[in-house]
Amino acid sequence: MKRLTAYVLLTVLFLSGCGAQMSPDEAQESIQVIAMDTAMLITTYGERSSAAAYACEDVIRDLEAKLSRTVEDSEVSRLNAAGGGAVEIGWDAYSLLERAAAYSSSTGGAFDITVAPVVSAWGFTEDSFRVPSQAELDRLLPLVDSSQVSVTPSLDSNGDGPKATVTLGPGQAIDLGGLAKGYAADKIVGVLREHDVPRANINLGGNVLAYGGRPDGTPWRVAIQDPARVGEQDAFAGVLALTDSFAVTSGGYQRYFEQDGKTYHHIIDPATGYPADSGLTSVTVVAALGEGDGSGFPGTMCDAYSTALFIMGEERALAFWRDEMMWGEEGCPFDLVLVTEDGRVVVTEGLADRFTLEESSGYTLEVVSP
Amino acid sequence: MRPSPKLHPTAWDALVVLCVAALAIALALFQWRGGTSQGLTAVVSVDGTEIDRVSLEDAAGEKTYQAGAYTLTVEYAAGSARVRTSNCPTQDCVHTGVVSRGGQSIVCLPARIVIRLEGGAPDPDAVDAVLG
Repeated sequence: MKRLTAYVLLTVLFLSGCGAQMSPDEAQESIQVIAMDTAMLITTYGERSSAAAYACEDVIRDLEAKLSRTVEDSEVSRLNAAGGGAVEIGWDAYSLLERAAAYSSSTGGAFDITVAPVVSAWGFTEDSFRVPSQAELDRLLPLVDSSQVSVTPSLDSNGDGPKATVTLGPGQAIDLGGLAKGYAADKIVGVLREHDVPRANINLGGNVLAYGGRPDGTPWRVAIQDPARVGEQDAFAGVLALTDSFAVTSGGYQRYFEQDGKTYHHIIDPATGYPADSGLTSVTVVAALGEGDGSGFPGTMCDAYSTALFIMGEERALAFWRDEMMWGEEGCPFDLVLVTEDGRVVVTEGLADRFTLEESSGYTLEVVSP
Repeated sequence: MRPSPKLHPTAWDALVVLCVAALAIALALFQWRGGTSQGLTAVVSVDGTEIDRVSLEDAAGEKTYQAGAYTLTVEYAAGSARVRTSNCPTQDCVHTGVVSRGGQSIVCLPARIVIRLEGGAPDPDAVDAVLG
């Protein structure tokens, strides 16, 4: 009888002990980070989920300290304050300047980090919004020219020292804000792999990294905000089903001000100096994570292209997509979701079976082929 | 060496055994049936640091949070929360309106305050992230 009682007790205690052990997939960490002028949410899974989440935060804080235009002693701030003098920069800033030059070239100047002085004139850098005069814009527009940014790689490129020396043209300034979050997402993929994270949902404020899938095995459900119903909760244009993907959205509704009954948003067309007026209300760019071999910067690319294609408008954006899919040299195929002012959602073929239109939005869905 | 005395279990021993068994079974059931799941809760953080946690199971009332030069008045009701007033320049937090599901959040960037809802009934159709 005593032996039987002991067996029963042991069995029950064993079973309760099993319940106390959390499976790696159930171990989860979720942290909020306010950085890069946005609110971010990092959710990681796995046995090392906590360490991974905080390592992701470290990556973001480190990049913000180096790359932010509003952090006084960042490399970018030192460069902007150098008055055309040479400034030494590290690997991250160097990588981004190289990427920025490539994206400026591929988009025909629609993406341009030297638009910074014009963006400042509109007050979007310091949240002191104003409409600059045409004379002021005419004076600033000649400064928007990426070809004047000179980057000279250091000879000691294998050491821990500076990776390059940079000079800007007279009066020029740069802003890497159109790339930095995407670049952070690219670096975070490495952190997640290092920590054996099976799945993660990283939202860097308009930049989403859907790593793996949901714990139930289905893809992450990533919604695209309906630009026409910004003030409403759960007002979506549609929902993407994503696994191992980056997705970045740019839209004029994200930051804007009103003056004399007119709305001015923050995506400035480098060609005109005015907020882009292209007939699009948002552009979402989606790309796969890649093989993790260090080639390509798909997150950075999505970030830059979402801005550039918003400026280009539907026709040019789709032509660009077709060209890049056929001839692109970046090695990062991508797909698009365009929301238009006239009530359409245009989805490129690669996302056709991963996008669900939100019926209550009232949009009509169009799928385009290469 | 003296042999140890033979022990005879008493009614008290049986009671102890029963208590331990009941406790172990309850613990196992609690964990297996999602003992970690929780009711809907509003978690308030300033610059990533949690400063308040309000259960929305039967909450009703207002709370005021200050960060830097900004003050937010948050209205809690059973199952929902909203920022009723804020002296921030953008008013995005006020315009966000009512949040009522786990995963939804209200962000006030100028004040660096985030009010995020956690827990509640799981909804497989809920979105995991919003682009925009």
